[in-house]
Amino acid sequence: MKKCMECMKTRWNRFVALLKRHPPLQYVIFGGMLAIMGLGPYFGIIPVSTAMFGALITVMIWTVAALGINLLLGYGGLISLATAGFMGVGALGVGIFMTEYGWPFELAALMTLLISGALGLLIGIFSLKVSGIYLAIGTLFVGEILRRIFTNVPIFGGERINIGEITFLGRFTIDRNLPFQDFATGASQYERYWLYLILTVLMVLTMIVVHNIVKSSTGRAFMAMSRSENAAQSMGISIIKYRLIAFIVATMLATLGGIMYAIYFQNAPTEAWTLILSLMIIGAVVVGGLKSIFGTFLGAVIIHLVPNLYLRPLFGDVRSLFTGVLIIVVILFYPRGVVFVVTDLKKLWGKLKKRLQGRKETAHDEQS
Amino acid sequence: MNSPKKPILELNKVTMRFGGLVAVDNLSFTVHEKEIVGLIGPNGAGKTTVFNCATQFYDDYEGDIRFYTEAGDSVDLRSKKVTEIAPLGISRTFQNIELVQDLSILDNVLIGAHYKFETGVFRHIFKTKKARDEEQVWKARAEEILKFMNIAHLKHFYVAGQPYGILKKIEIARAMMMNPRLIILDEPAAGLTDYETDELEKLVYRIRDEYNISILLIEHDMGFVMNICDRVCAINFGKYIAMDTPKNIQEHPEVKEAYLGSEA
Amino acid sequence: MSGALRSFDGVKRMNITNLLRVLFNSLNTGSVYALAALGIVLIFRTSRTTNFAQGSIGTLNAYVAGYLFMTFGWSIWVVALASMATAFVTGILIDVFVIRPAAKVNPISKQIITLGLIIVIVGAIPFIFGVDTYQLSRFFTTGAYTVAGATLRHNTIFVVLLSLFLMSAIFWFIQYTKWGLAIRVTASDETTSRLMGVPTKTVTMLSWATAAMLGTLAALIIAPQGSVNPNFMVDVQVNAFFAGVLGGFQTFYGAVIGAYIIAFARNFTNFYISDIWADVIVYSSILVFLYLKPFGLFGKKPIRKV
Repeated sequence: MKKCMECMKTRWNRFVALLKRHPPLQYVIFGGMLAIMGLGPYFGIIPVSTAMFGALITVMIWTVAALGINLLLGYGGLISLATAGFMGVGALGVGIFMTEYGWPFELAALMTLLISGALGLLIGIFSLKVSGIYLAIGTLFVGEILRRIFTNVPIFGGERINIGEITFLGRFTIDRNLPFQDFATGASQYERYWLYLILTVLMVLTMIVVHNIVKSSTGRAFMAMSRSENAAQSMGISIIKYRLIAFIVATMLATLGGIMYAIYFQNAPTEAWTLILSLMIIGAVVVGGLKSIFGTFLGAVIIHLVPNLYLRPLFGDVRSLFTGVLIIVVILFYPRGVVFVVTDLKKLWGKLKKRLQGRKETAHDEQS
Repeated sequence: MNSPKKPILELNKVTMRFGGLVAVDNLSFTVHEKEIVGLIGPNGAGKTTVFNCATQFYDDYEGDIRFYTEAGDSVDLRSKKVTEIAPLGISRTFQNIELVQDLSILDNVLIGAHYKFETGVFRHIFKTKKARDEEQVWKARAEEILKFMNIAHLKHFYVAGQPYGILKKIEIARAMMMNPRLIILDEPAAGLTDYETDELEKLVYRIRDEYNISILLIEHDMGFVMNICDRVCAINFGKYIAMDTPKNIQEHPEVKEAYLGSEA
Repeated sequence: MSGALRSFDGVKRMNITNLLRVLFNSLNTGSVYALAALGIVLIFRTSRTTNFAQGSIGTLNAYVAGYLFMTFGWSIWVVALASMATAFVTGILIDVFVIRPAAKVNPISKQIITLGLIIVIVGAIPFIFGVDTYQLSRFFTTGAYTVAGATLRHNTIFVVLLSLFLMSAIFWFIQYTKWGLAIRVTASDETTSRLMGVPTKTVTMLSWATAAMLGTLAALIIAPQGSVNPNFMVDVQVNAFFAGVLGGFQTFYGAVIGAYIIAFARNFTNFYISDIWADVIVYSSILVFLYLKPFGLFGKKPIRKV
């Protein structure tokens, strides 16, 4: 029995070493776990109800957009209040290209990403001259301009653009309107699960991309820039370049979030992309953990999934109240984010252990 | 030490104004290769402003600041952008330590190698072989420098929470990572204990001798300056007073008057 | 806003009547933006944070007014005073329980705290006041002059004069009184001021209280044009911010002037150019302006230090 424990332990250690050597693997494993959870509604796996399934969809969309904000805010020290606007660009852009122009999904998504990248470049150029609160409010302008275009301009069809079933890679047509089970026969219909899987893959890829960026000299340049622009410049780091990169990546990830929305819901609303959504996503980043990729996911879970699934049935619609209070409390008392609770607890445990051992030893010394 | 040498940094009649205030006034001096030069003066004498002009943080100064490359070519620094100074061979440290708190010491030092990275953000996103190899090369170099500074054992620790003496060393290590020919140190000994100051002194000598790096420094710790510098330049209200060996500077009447006040 | 105005006339001729209509309307909304913006600048100068919750604080207290007005049928004047009192208390509570503990938090996180405040207030309103919206009446429900064919309500005159009077009083207070001096020195350097014996804590607290009252007054003025609901101040909040950046945060008067400019520009483009593209045109122009003058109309570039 003990021998088995030992071998389990060495295996575990080997596994941890493998993860350390290939960090992207941890995101792939995480994605695999999510993929299994997504089967919940089909096999009645208890914790994953259809409601949970839906909440996870939103959590994944938010995580992708929030990772862009984390790169911008956590690593680059810049803020953008236009996240929701760019998510709208993603969903509505895909919608327009597919319904008005009849483009295939992939082309529509690519074009939308390129457009948002160009808009991100514009914000980046703007940020070269304008900084601090002026920049924050400047991005608020961008968000408002986008929102007003969505709601006022007739091409967006007023309330929403209905995309309908999407054909991926020219072969696989998926219609999300089919429920989990066929009402008549009770047979499982996996359409929604395939969409869920696509979203999971996109999120995992985003996590890996962001991981690679922050662990490279680009990521270090972001952090040097957010610590002190003047010092960074004296090390040859071009503020212009990295601000542009940060804004382009952040807007493109927000847009990807919007595209994911269009993929799953197969429609694009015009009025959903408000300042409050941008704030919620910033909230997810701050609460979950600045400069942490899993923390961003955790933040989205805390801000979206927990209040929707667990608090609403108990206390009514406390989502906003909960999120707002949490943001304030976390910034005041736990500025590094909830995800660092684990690290801090480990440290505390180490200290306690040491102290206990120390006490034992002193007791031992006194005895002898 | 005073044998004729090739110059590395030359200030010629540099003047810097902030509105009506003249922070640096018609200042000229030269730093030679493999020389340790101290810049001293009372508070507000314009010392850091001189540094900021030399590194092009301020580019609206009058006069001329030249840097001499290894081949002996003279470069007018005004023609360079602030980000082009490091690749040219000048690196600096800061009065208020400018390190990234929640990054490991090794990563902080690696920031110094930033301009040497040839791979761009696309290669970083996809983590191509070239990007990985390059990262390894500079990591090895950073570890070498940390070893030279005797802090290699701390490399994986965060900067946050390290004692002041270590922080100063990390800053110097980061400056050395840029492969400079001239390092500009802004108050390197401020806040150090006596023991740490002695250590710093030895370190500065070793940087010069083992890496052939010239050093220009600002410091208020007169003992440190007089011990370490080959020559000292004294300024007051941005104006040149004298530049000479530490011994002569100490006895210079005007320096005494300006720097030490009437009581000296 | 002026969508209704346009349908009333139907013709977009550049005659004096239409121009006056746009102008009167702009004076009204401009005053609302200006009051809110002044509060934002006041807080920015004393607390070094941009108060994103300025509009929400106004919303909360407008709910108090709406509740009293509709439940007890009190006069609009009485409920206005009552909501001013609750605004004063709201401001102090926010300063004491949220802003003061965050003194050492970095500037961006501090901004995010005020973003959190918006979410808290929006979330708390249904629990305190229920999900129904409230109505508030104008201060003067009847009476109007006709100037060259354009209607000028007595209420508009009152609102504009009251706003101008209050803002002038605040400028005078800041410029010529001992407490005003305390505000100005706190704004320029809080640490030094505290060391010099200026009660910076009281200054900050009173700034929040004043800003909350200004925000609430703005809410009371704009409320009769629609209803009191959790989001009815978002437009004011956003435009007050825009006024702040247009005028620059370094002066107290810049934001006020910026507010009237924005109100006029929006109404004017809305009426004469396009009601679909008006905001897009105005906001984009301000962005371009900001790119050219990054510190606003009256701001200066600070000197870099290393």
